[in-house]
This record gives sequence, structure tokens and C-alpha cells, in this order.
Amino acid sequence: MEQSLPVRILRDIAAVFVTALFMFPILWWALASIKPISAMFDKDRVVFFDFVPTLINYGVTLLGMSRSQLAIDAGLGMGVAGTEAYDSRRAIFDSVIVAIGSTTITMMLAVFAAYALSRMAFKGREGFLNWVLGQRFMPPIAILIPLVAIYKTVGMRDTDNLIMGYIGLMMIYALMNLPIAVLLMKSFFDDVPKDVDEAAMIDGATRWQTFRKIVVPMVRGGVAASAVLCFIFAWTEFLLSLFLTTDIRTVPVKIQTFVTSTGNEWGFISALGTAAAIPSFIFILLVQRHLVRGLTLGSLKE
Amino acid sequence: MASVTIKNVKKNYGNLEVVHGINLKIEDGAFVVLLGPSGCGKSTLLRMIAGLESVTGGDIEIEGKRVNDVHPKDRNIAMVFQNYALYAHMKVRDNMSFSLLLAKRPQNEIDEKVKWAAKILNLEPYLDRYPRELSGGQRQRVAMGRAIVRNPAVFLFDEPLSNLDAKLRVQMRTEIKELHERLKTTTVYVTHDQIEAMTMADKIVILRDGYIEQEGSPLDVYDHPANLFVAEFIGSPSMNLLKGEVITEGVRLAEGTVLALPKSHKAKLGQKVVYGIRPEHLKPGKGTAAKINVIEPTGPEMHIYADMGGQEVCSITSERVHLARGADLQLAPQLDRVHLFDAETGKVIA
Ligand SMILES: Nc1ncnc2c1ncn2[C@@H]1O[C@H](COP(=O)(O)OP(=O)(O)OP(=O)(O)O)[C@@H](O)[C@H]1O
Ligand SMILES: [Mg+2]
Repeated sequence: MEQSLPVRILRDIAAVFVTALFMFPILWWALASIKPISAMFDKDRVVFFDFVPTLINYGVTLLGMSRSQLAIDAGLGMGVAGTEAYDSRRAIFDSVIVAIGSTTITMMLAVFAAYALSRMAFKGREGFLNWVLGQRFMPPIAILIPLVAIYKTVGMRDTDNLIMGYIGLMMIYALMNLPIAVLLMKSFFDDVPKDVDEAAMIDGATRWQTFRKIVVPMVRGGVAASAVLCFIFAWTEFLLSLFLTTDIRTVPVKIQTFVTSTGNEWGFISALGTAAAIPSFIFILLVQRHLVRGLTLGSLKE
Repeated sequence: MASVTIKNVKKNYGNLEVVHGINLKIEDGAFVVLLGPSGCGKSTLLRMIAGLESVTGGDIEIEGKRVNDVHPKDRNIAMVFQNYALYAHMKVRDNMSFSLLLAKRPQNEIDEKVKWAAKILNLEPYLDRYPRELSGGQRQRVAMGRAIVRNPAVFLFDEPLSNLDAKLRVQMRTEIKELHERLKTTTVYVTHDQIEAMTMADKIVILRDGYIEQEGSPLDVYDHPANLFVAEFIGSPSMNLLKGEVITEGVRLAEGTVLALPKSHKAKLGQKVVYGIRPEHLKPGKGTAAKINVIEPTGPEMHIYADMGGQEVCSITSERVHLARGADLQLAPQLDRVHLFDAETGKVIA
């Protein structure tokens, strides 16, 4: 559809405006992470770019440097309050384990389930799809209290067993992600014509060989896109992580501890926040093409 | 190579019967085309032969062996699909060798077979490309290559050319025909394009609503259609079918408009009939009066559409006709080419 010039200009302006609206807080956040405290808290004006950038916040949160030591080195004396509780390496490690683990579990189940839903006719198939969707209607907070009780009873909360902590979070994230992953994967499988399965069958492939050697490789992009969505959910999830485990602290929970009784450590908060956004950003860029396809084209069917 | 025998085969989807007891014998090495309008059950029949669809009733035999419950891969057939159904993530070479690999054939045999198929199909320069890097016609050839490397007993084609443009379709038509001449593999080919059927088939089977209407060689069904459906379906422009009543002088279409009949015919006086005459057998000349509607020159021929006793007829002539709309002319049927059908049953009167 060819649009007239004024319409195109208007559309472009709107696009730029909307993008700017969404991007500005993120950019401001990233900017804050490299500002010295004096620039962040200037009481006379808003500081945009006229400050001497510093990586102190990253050094403390990502590399575990001691802030009091850094302050002394910088000749500031002992005036800076500081515990060593801002080292977030352990939180990042925990987050990576939980996010990758839960994504793996989710995708393993989702790929099989979605293939079955896409290819096999069985009783209750339609109902199953609706049930899967229904899972999304329920906000996590509605099931939080029973979940806490359950986790406590089965020994996945308030134990010193780190492994149980990991497994507990991975399981709940897999549970939360499974419906959307199944739906997404089903739409990718639906895009592969059934003739391809049949051709493989005639070529002599068993159902399993067809699945593993033909159909799944053909939806690789879809698998990657769905996995990224699951990863990002697990990576950014706060509520369940806060309540369901005491042994491990994922990055979002860790960041929240930077809000202290003596003040908010904006520098560390923004540094860790910015750093945490980077993996999601890269992954999304990598699978963007498939993601758009999966979320629009596929979801229009059925 | 093998013959295929279809005995009283039925197919139900739930309570709906879509194929109603079909009997068909496909000779060893024959090229049989299943022809019919959309929804007539061609694909269903083909897929039952392939084993992709269960058979509700009757028997299918390949090489004299009942295969109703045999898995597709054990039927020794190969199928080419309308949308090619290539494995998009595999190179052309791997697409073609997949079945041999699964059958655990030795590598040198696989290489040899793939090379042989690629040579026949002119695919040699493309072996290391992905299907998405090929044109429609090349993809079609890969699908055929995938079928021939296995040296199957029967080839099954389901409208393999309908995704190609007109020119390529004609070219591929010839290629498939040549491939068949060369390999002499029994072939069942599904299409709704009667030209494809006419040009390629040894035997045409015309289906409608899950029944066989007629089977025979292309010229046989063209020259001797068994009923009105076949008469209308085969041939383009299609046969003129004019409703009328048999009188002594011929068939009366309307008051004063009478088409001549051959000396001996089987119709009874006063019988309501449909008078069938192909456009190329109805030429300007001393005959029945008509009024011109349109004249379409095609180059070698003129297609004259005219009104004859209130019904439209088409006449094809190689003479140059220069007449205006509304002009009067006379059209004469070639009497030994007249087909008479019973108006009630639609069957040919013979
Ligand atoms: N899975 C199915 N469930 C119910 N009815 C079906 C199914 N598949 C096909 N049919 C019906 O069976 C009939 C024959 O279908 P078939 O696909 O064989 O037609 P076709 O002759 O190949 O037509 P086309 O030229 O459009 O491909 C159609 O009326 C169709 O509606
Ligand atoms: Mg069909």
C-alpha cells in the first residue's frame, strides 16, 4: 500500500516519538550509571552530559571492588558510607543458572507438547490449548501464598540446600513460561506444512526421526525465539524469586537490596540494572526476525 | 515397476463418505492421470495409495500384494507434493539422499544415485544449494529427484505443477513425460487441468464426487465421452451442449432452429436430448442459422461465439471471418462427430 507523503511523514514522526518515549528512561538509566554522585544529585540543575564519567558503579557491582577502598584511593577519605554488600557477582551467577536452567526445561517440554498439538489429533486437543491459554489469565501473586507453603513443605524454601533453591526457581519459571512457549512453538510448527512430515514418512523416517531430523531443525529460529522469551522472563522475574527462596538471590532481588535504610544507592542500582538489560537486548536482536513472525503471523491462526 | 489395483475402495471422514467404491487397474509402467474438479477425491485416492490416508473399505494392491495396512515407507512408492515439501534446512544433495541414508545404503551408492538423479534432472550445479536458493521449477525438480533416487515401484504426483507459472508448467510437463519415457515407472498423477491430463496420460481417469465417471486413453475420452460431465470437462473451449428434442429432420433447439443428425442414430423420435458438438466440428457453412455474439481471433483460429435458438454455441474455424456482432451466419456440424446425450440421465445415447 502506497501512502501519500504527508501520511508517511506523520507516520515516521509518530514512530520516532514512540520509540523515544520508550527509550528515554533506559538511556537515562544507563547515563545515571556512569555519573559521579555529584552529577546525579546536583540540586541546581539537571545534568545531561557535562560530567566526568566513572565506572565505579560497575566496578563495585560487577567486579566486587570495595567502595570504601575506592573512595580512599580517590582521596575522598572515609566520608563514604559502605558495606561490601554491593558485590553482585553471586547474584548474576544465580540468575544465569536459574534462567538457563528454567529455559532449558521449558523448551524441552514445550517443543514436544507443541509438536503433538500441531501434528496429532487427540481427544481434548482444543480444550488443552484453551487451558494452556487460561494459565496466563492468573497473576502470579494470586498463587503466591499457597506456593510459598508448598515450597516450604517440600523443602525447597528455607533450607540451606542451594541445589533445592535452584531447582525450585527453575520449576516455577518453567511452569510460568510453559503456556506461552507451547503456544509460540505450536504456531511455528503449524507453519511447517504437514506434507513435509509425510514426505519424510514416505522417505522412510519414523515419527521420531521426522521430528528430530526434519521438523525441529526447520523451526530452529522459532525455538531460539521462544527460548529468548523464556530466558528474559526468568531473568527479570522478581516476585516469585523474592518469596520462594531464601538461599539464592537473583539479580532483580539483589538490586532491590540496594534500597537501604540509609538511602538508595542509585549508582549501583542503575549500573546493575543497565548491565542486566544487556543480555536480553543482545538476545532479542538475534532472534527479532523470528519473534515478530511467531508473535503475529502464527498467533492469528486458531 | 509394478501394477496397482484398486478394488472397491471407499473412504469416510467421520460419517461422510467421500470416495464411493472405486475400482481401477493401473498397469505396470503406465502413466495414469486422475482428473477431476476440486473436491472430487483425487488427492484422497492418491493418498490412500501412498498410505498417508487409511482405507475405509476395499483393497489396494501394489505388485499384487495387499497394502492396506502397510506403512508408506514399505510400499515402495515415492510421492511428489504440490508444494514440493522439501526439507528447507537441507541442501539439495541431502534432500535427495535422505531416504537412502535412512535405508542405510553405503555412501558410494548414495553418491552415485544422487549424481545420476541430478544429471537426469539437470540439477548438477545446484547440489550444494538450499531449496530457498532455487526457483520454483528447480525446486520441483528436486522433489522429483528425491523421488527417483529410491527407484520406487510407483510414482505418485499430487498436482505437482500447479504452483508454477504457465510457461514453466508446459516445460515441466514435457520433462515429467520424458522422465517417464525413460524410467518407465508406473505413475499416478493427480491434476484438475485437463490439458495436462490430455498431454501426459496413457490413461485418464475422470472422477466426480468420489465416483469414476469414465476412464480411457486421452483421445478415447475426448472422442467418446460417456456422459455430459465428461463431455463438458474435457476440451477447451468445451463442447457445445445444446438442449433439444429429436424430430425427423434432426434435433430441434427452438421453433425453426434444427441441427442435423447423422443418418443412423439411436435416439427415439420425440426424445429430449442434449446435442453435443465440439467447436472445431461446427463450422460456418450451409447449416443452422445463428447470430454472432463475439469473435475472438487467437491467431491460427477464430473462435466464433454465436446465439443459436437461444443457446450459445462456439465454433472454431481456421478461415478468417469478418463479421460484426449481430450478423447472421449459418453453422454446419460435422455429422460423424455429433454426440447425443439423454437429457434426463446425461448418458450418451449409443
Ligand atoms: N481431513 C478431512 N476431513 C473431512 N473431509 C475431508 C478431509 N480431507 C478431505 N475431505 C473431503 O474429501 C473430499 C475430497 O477431497 P480431496 O482433497 O481428495 O479433493 P481433491 O479432488 O484433491 O480436490 P483439489 O483439487 O481441491 O485438491 C472433499 O470434499 C473434502 O472436503
Ligand atoms: Mg487435492
